Amino acid sequence: MLSYEIAVIGGGPAGLCAAISAAAAGASVALIEKDRHLGGQLVKQTHMFFGSKAQFASTRGIDIADILSRQCEELKNITVLLGATVLGYYDDQVLTIEQDNKVQRVKADCLVVATGASEKVLPFPNNDLPGIYGAGAVQTLMNVYGVKPADRVLMVGAGNIGLIVSYQLLQAHVKVAGIIEAAKHIGGYLVHASKIRRAGVPIMTGYTIKKAYGERKVEGAIVWQLDDRWQPIPGTELDIPVDAVCLAVGLTPMGELLWQAGCQMIYVPQLGGHVPFRKATLETTVPGIYVAGDVAGVEEASSAMVEGRLAGLAAARRLGYHNADWENKYQDALQQLMALRSGPVGEKICSGLKCVVV
Amino acid sequence: MANNMADAVIIGGGVHGCATAYYLAKAGCKRVVLLEKGYLASGGTGRSGAGIRHQFGTEINIRLSSAAVRMMENLEQELEYPRGISLMQKGYLIIAYTETQMEQFAKNVQLQREIDPENLTEILTTEEINRKLPFLNVEGVLGGTFNRRDGHANPFHVVQAFAEAAKRLGVDIRTFTEVVDIRTDQGKVTAVVTDKGEVIQTPVVVNCAGPHGAVVSKMAGVDIPLYPQRHQVAVTEPLEMFLPCMVLDFTHGTWFKQTPDGSLILGVGDPEHEVKEINQRCTWEFMKDVAEKMVFHIPRLKDVVVVRQWAGLYDMTPDSQAILGATPVEGFYLDVGWSGHGFQLGPIVGKIMAELISGQKPCIDVSCMSLERFEKGELIPEPNCV
Repeated sequence: MLSYEIAVIGGGPAGLCAAISAAAAGASVALIEKDRHLGGQLVKQTHMFFGSKAQFASTRGIDIADILSRQCEELKNITVLLGATVLGYYDDQVLTIEQDNKVQRVKADCLVVATGASEKVLPFPNNDLPGIYGAGAVQTLMNVYGVKPADRVLMVGAGNIGLIVSYQLLQAHVKVAGIIEAAKHIGGYLVHASKIRRAGVPIMTGYTIKKAYGERKVEGAIVWQLDDRWQPIPGTELDIPVDAVCLAVGLTPMGELLWQAGCQMIYVPQLGGHVPFRKATLETTVPGIYVAGDVAGVEEASSAMVEGRLAGLAAARRLGYHNADWENKYQDALQQLMALRSGPVGEKICSGLKCVVV
Repeated sequence: MANNMADAVIIGGGVHGCATAYYLAKAGCKRVVLLEKGYLASGGTGRSGAGIRHQFGTEINIRLSSAAVRMMENLEQELEYPRGISLMQKGYLIIAYTETQMEQFAKNVQLQREIDPENLTEILTTEEINRKLPFLNVEGVLGGTFNRRDGHANPFHVVQAFAEAAKRLGVDIRTFTEVVDIRTDQGKVTAVVTDKGEVIQTPVVVNCAGPHGAVVSKMAGVDIPLYPQRHQVAVTEPLEMFLPCMVLDFTHGTWFKQTPDGSLILGVGDPEHEVKEINQRCTWEFMKDVAEKMVFHIPRLKDVVVVRQWAGLYDMTPDSQAILGATPVEGFYLDVGWSGHGFQLGPIVGKIMAELISGQKPCIDVSCMSLERFEKGELIPEPNCV
């Protein structure tokens, strides 16, 4: 059985930063990623990031993945396991991992769980037809595998993901028949929404999908308007012929390992679902198990990276890696998180965090 | 505010508790309250292999099981349960690897036929087993016993069926309600106290708390020789139906079945290494063990994906037999200690418990399962269980 001081589960922005900060502090780290490459969702993000310089503002997500992967490679005390899926975590601090069709076991004194989030789905008739996608899945098809997912798409949800993926669909010469949004307002940044509108794509707020239709695959969708109490208004149905429906209706944390490890969990809608209670250091109620990124509460890659650094530092400190520089780095990360969460978008996150930080 | 006067309080929402509640209410008991600390079937029942078999080696279990199988066959009608209990009666095979086991199996079959002339258990040779289950590795197998009327069911549906029928008869089922005390006065049960602070006045308390049975008994001042023992189970991805019957092997402590949805449910009993405490957490050692043993039994399983594992607790007694019936505390009844074969007997034992509590002569004499047997040294060890 292989043994490491810290196992970081998930090689996305949070996991990469956790591994880097813990290893830089001196700990031996295993970074475990189920995909064949590091970067998580960063690798399909072809757009430039906002936020502060420290979080790679004006750099494209895919380039951030490269920068962080290289930093990882330079640190000799990080072992990267690719194509490695964590199957379970057991009471004797053993992780079981499937890699190349073989099960192996890894023992770790501390864990940083950075497993991210999965896309939510919507219940509506025929939502299991081929051609009903998560928006993230469409983004992966286009930007990672170079596959054009459809000819004409209806996007459901006008948050940042819905807006950005719609724009990327246009870039891939896919027609976007429209974006519908159940809320009365567009959820994503205005700058993204404006780009879409300038390209002639209608954004219909106060609309939801009634059903999809089609014989063997999606041939169209019926949408209808919602009243002030979120009830559909009969007679407002519109028929939109499309060959794909993209659901961009939010993400939910993938906390299965945390449940299995016995971390105390709580449902917090502002954070996307069930999330663990945690200290300011991101340590859960199980000593030695830390969280970072979307699994701790659905937010953005920028804050995921800072949370990763924070959790990596805290885990390293728990193991006794604590030098003069540590405190500065830790305080710096805390301040950056606060800065990222200031402003109207951060309000929701902060109100959610109030429920879970102990 | 719930009515806190009861004629009987049942502790435990597994198959025994729910069946007892149903038959008590059916017998005319007006105010039956069932308390369950988790959700229904959250304990041993829902975590069990849910095998159903005639194939036992003691008179009492043979009598109980042959009645129980018949009740399972009619359960959906009796309880008017529209969703079905997924009863698969395609047989149950017990395989032997030693001469001693073969001799014991022969005795078991003889006893089963003596007690129940309709019993269909037959002795199979290795060749017959091989013909029946060609994918089964019979290396080292000397033979086995098989009963085509045996099989398995879905334990959640069985419990749900009893619980819904009980509710229709007025039983008050309270889940997520834990019993914290049982009050007695002058050697009689008077009340049950819950973790919600409720005090339920009652002259009758039935302990169906499975592995928590000893703790619950202690609340009434009754010591019983019962301890928990963890067992673990793995479940695979769904496969095309190929394993019609349930299979049990005492040598490796293994059992396996395929549910109607196609999943294989794989169990290993490992009393030597498993914890004997209230601990339902899983281990990676079990996954390794179950994988090795199941690939030994069915080599073609080597490429099959396990999707989940779980752990559950047996409620063990010194002779691996239940403790049933009245206790020195008047009104305090026991239905615990089933030691891993209790699921299938739930319906008949629920009926018997209701008969005992209502003061009727039970349809099967269960006095040999009384608590007193341990003092008297009249143990009834069951040879046919894991």
